[in-house]
Amino acid sequence: MRTWLFVTFLAMAGASGSVAQDAKTPAAPNAAKQESSCILCHKQLDGPALEPTKHLDDIHMQRGLSCHDCHGGDPTKGGDEDPSAAHDERKGWKEKPTRLQVPLFCARCHGDAAYMKTFNPQIRVDQLSEYRTSVHGQRNAKGDSRTAVCIDCHGVHGIRAIKDPRSKVHPTQVADTCARCHSDPELMARYGLETNQATAYKTSVHARAIYEKGDLSAPTCNDCHGSHGAAPPGVATVAQVCGSCHSREGSLYRETEGKKPGLNLSPAIQCVTCHDNHAVHRPTDEMLGIGSKSVCTNCHGPEDKQFKSAEGMGRAIQGLSARLAEANDMLDRAERAGVEINADRFALRAGQNHLVEARVLVHAFDEERFMAAVHEGMGSAETALTAGERAFSELRRRRMGLTVSLVVIAAVIGGLVLKVREIERDKNA
Amino acid sequence: MTTRERLAAVQEWVEVRVGISQLIEMGREKKVPLHRHSFWYYMGGMTLFLFGIQVGTGILLLLYYRPSSGEAFESVQFLMTRVPFGWLIRSIHSWSANLLVFVLFLHMFSAFFLKAFRKPRELTWLTGAVLLALMMGFGFSGYLLPWNTLAFFATQVGTEVAGRVPVVGEFALRLLRGGDQVTGATLTRFYGIHVAILPALTTVILGAHLLFVQKHGMSVPPQVEADAERAGKPLGSYPFLPNFLLRDAIGWCAALGVLAGLAALFPWELGEKADPFASAPAGIRPEWYFGWMFQTLKMLPPHILGFEGEVLGILAITLGFIIWFAVPFLDRTPRPGNRVTRAFAVGGWLALLYMAVATAMVYWPQ
Repeated sequence: MRTWLFVTFLAMAGASGSVAQDAKTPAAPNAAKQESSCILCHKQLDGPALEPTKHLDDIHMQRGLSCHDCHGGDPTKGGDEDPSAAHDERKGWKEKPTRLQVPLFCARCHGDAAYMKTFNPQIRVDQLSEYRTSVHGQRNAKGDSRTAVCIDCHGVHGIRAIKDPRSKVHPTQVADTCARCHSDPELMARYGLETNQATAYKTSVHARAIYEKGDLSAPTCNDCHGSHGAAPPGVATVAQVCGSCHSREGSLYRETEGKKPGLNLSPAIQCVTCHDNHAVHRPTDEMLGIGSKSVCTNCHGPEDKQFKSAEGMGRAIQGLSARLAEANDMLDRAERAGVEINADRFALRAGQNHLVEARVLVHAFDEERFMAAVHEGMGSAETALTAGERAFSELRRRRMGLTVSLVVIAAVIGGLVLKVREIERDKNA
Repeated sequence: MTTRERLAAVQEWVEVRVGISQLIEMGREKKVPLHRHSFWYYMGGMTLFLFGIQVGTGILLLLYYRPSSGEAFESVQFLMTRVPFGWLIRSIHSWSANLLVFVLFLHMFSAFFLKAFRKPRELTWLTGAVLLALMMGFGFSGYLLPWNTLAFFATQVGTEVAGRVPVVGEFALRLLRGGDQVTGATLTRFYGIHVAILPALTTVILGAHLLFVQKHGMSVPPQVEADAERAGKPLGSYPFLPNFLLRDAIGWCAALGVLAGLAALFPWELGEKADPFASAPAGIRPEWYFGWMFQTLKMLPPHILGFEGEVLGILAITLGFIIWFAVPFLDRTPRPGNRVTRAFAVGGWLALLYMAVATAMVYWPQ
C-alpha cells in the first residue's frame, strides 16, 4: 500500500459540481507546503514508493499543492521515530483510490467550480459528467476496472499541462496515449475492437499535418471522438464531425440528405465511405471518375447513371487541374525570363479558386453546379494561358529588339573606332 | 535660296548669338595627357553619360509614377506591363543606377590612387565626394519608390541605422520617415527627395565639379610626372575635341549596349507589393553599394568596451567618410617616397579590399 502512497492526484480528469463530496476539497494552495514529511520519507524508500518523489515538476506541485492535498494525512508528522504518524486517518489519510474510484477522486477538485476558479477562472469543471457519457465512463460505472480512467491518459504523478509538449495529452502525444490501450490486442479483444486505428491514423493527412508540419490545429483522436466523452462519433451523422472543420463540405453534404436517392447512407459511414476514417489521405482529383484510383466505382457500376456522371466529372476536374498547371508553368517560365506577369496571375488565381470550389462542390453531388464551377475555372485558365503566350511573344520581341540594337551599337562603335584611327593617322602623318 | 544656303543662314544666326565655334575651338585647344594611366580619365565621362541616362529615363518614369502607398506599386506595374517600352525604361533606369554607382566608385578610387586630389584640385575632389554621397542618396531614395516588399523592409532597416546615429539619430529617422514608421508619408518624402531635392543639389555640385575640371584640366599622376622628368621627355597629349570625345563616345556606346543587354535579358524585378503588416521576408539586404556598411554593422558584437557595437560601427564609418573627404588636406604633398602618401595608398587598398570582401559576404550563401 505504502508504495502507492503518493498515487493519483490528478489534474485534468474531473467532476461536475454535483459530484458527491466524499472528501474535503483541499485548502487554497500554498507553495510552502511542498516541503513535507511525505517527500522526506519517500525519498528514502525504494521501488514504486520512491516514484512519486521523482515528479516534483507535476502541475499540481507547481500550483502549490502537495501530497496531503490529495491523500490527506499530516505532513508535519512522521520521520524516523514514527513513520506511520503521517498516515493519520483522523487527518483524512486514505489509501490510494482503486481504478473505479479514480474519476470521483479527481473530481473532488476538478468538479468544484469555486475551487478551480482560484487557479483559472476559465477552466472546465464538467470532465466527470462528460466522462460518464463516454464508453469508458459507462463501463467504469458498471464496474469494469480495465477501461480508461483519468490516470491512463494524464498519468498519475508528473501530470503536465495540456500545452506542455511532454504531456501525454498534448496533440503530438494523444495518438500514442490512446494507442497504449487501443493497440493492445489482448485488451481490445475483450471488447471486440480492432487495434489498427493508431497505425492507420499515422498514415493520414491529419497526422502528417501534426507530425511533419507541426500544425497543432490538425485533428488527432480526441478532436473527432471527444476527450473525456470519448466514444465513437455519437452525433447524428459523421458529416457533422468532419464538418466541424470542413464546414463547407459538411454543409453541402447535409443539404443533400434526404434529397438525393441513394445518398441516405448510414450516419456512421458517410464521409468515411470515400475518405476512410483513421487513414484519411490527402484527396486527389483522381478519386473522382472511373480510373483505378476512383472511389466512385467502389459503389457505382457501369450500369449506373451515376457512373457516367462520375466519368464526366472526373474528366472535367482533371482537365481543369492540368490546364491550370500548364498556365502556371507558362507564367513561371515567363517570369523567370523577366517578363512582368503579376497582373496576369489574377486570372490564374481565379482559376485555382474555381478548381477549389469544384472540388468542394463534389460533396453536393450536383453535377450541374460542379460543371458550372469547372467551366468558369476553364475560362480563367484559358485567360492565364493567353497571357502566358503573350508574355512569350513579348520576350521574343525583346530579344529581337536587343539583337537589332546591339548590331546598330556595334556599327556605331566600329564607325567611331575608324574615325579615331583616321584622325590620329592624319595627325601622325 | 537653296537648302544649303538656308542651313548656313541658320548656322550663322546661332553662331552670332551662342558662339559655338568658340566652344569648339576651346575643345580643340584643351589637351588630355597621354600616359599609361590615361584609361582612368574615361571614368568621369562615363559617369556623366550614365547620369544623363538616369535623368532621361527618370523623366519618362515620372510620366506614369504615382507617389502614394496606394498607387505606387500599381503604377509601376502598369508601366511595366501596359506602357509600350515601359519595362525597358524602368529596367534601364535601375541597371544604369547600379552601373553609375559602380563607375563612380572606379572614378573616385582611380582619382585617389593617382593622387588627382592634390593642389589645386582639392575642390574637385570635395565636389566629387559630395556627388558620390548624392548618388548614394539617389539610390537609397529610389529603392523605395516601387513600394515592393523588399524595398519597404530594406528602407525600414536603412532608416533604423540612420536613427542609431548619436545625438541626431532620432531627428534624422523622423525626418527621413516623415513619422515614426515607414509609411506612405515616407514614400512621398523619398519621392520628393529623389526627383527634386537631390537633382537640384546635384545640378549645382556637378556644375561646380565640371567647372573645376575644366579650369584645372586632367591631373597627371606624380609618378608619371617624375618619370617624364627623369627621362627628360615632355608628356604626350591629344586634343579633347575630337580625339578624347570620340574615344569617350566609344565607351558610352559600349555602356549603352551593356545596358540594353541587361535590361532585355534581366529586366529589373518588381516583386510583391509592400505589406506593412506582414512579417519581414528572409534575406533583406540593401543595394550592393551599401552592403559593406550593412555587413560591418551586422558583424559587430552587441557591446564593445561598454559601448553599443552598432553605434560604434556607425561612428567608425562616419569617421571613415570624414577622412575620405579630407584626403586632400591630410595627404597635402603626395609624391613618391612620401610616408604619408604611402600610408594613404596602403590605407586605400585596405579599405577597397575590406569593402569588396564585406560586400561579397552579404551575397555569400549562408
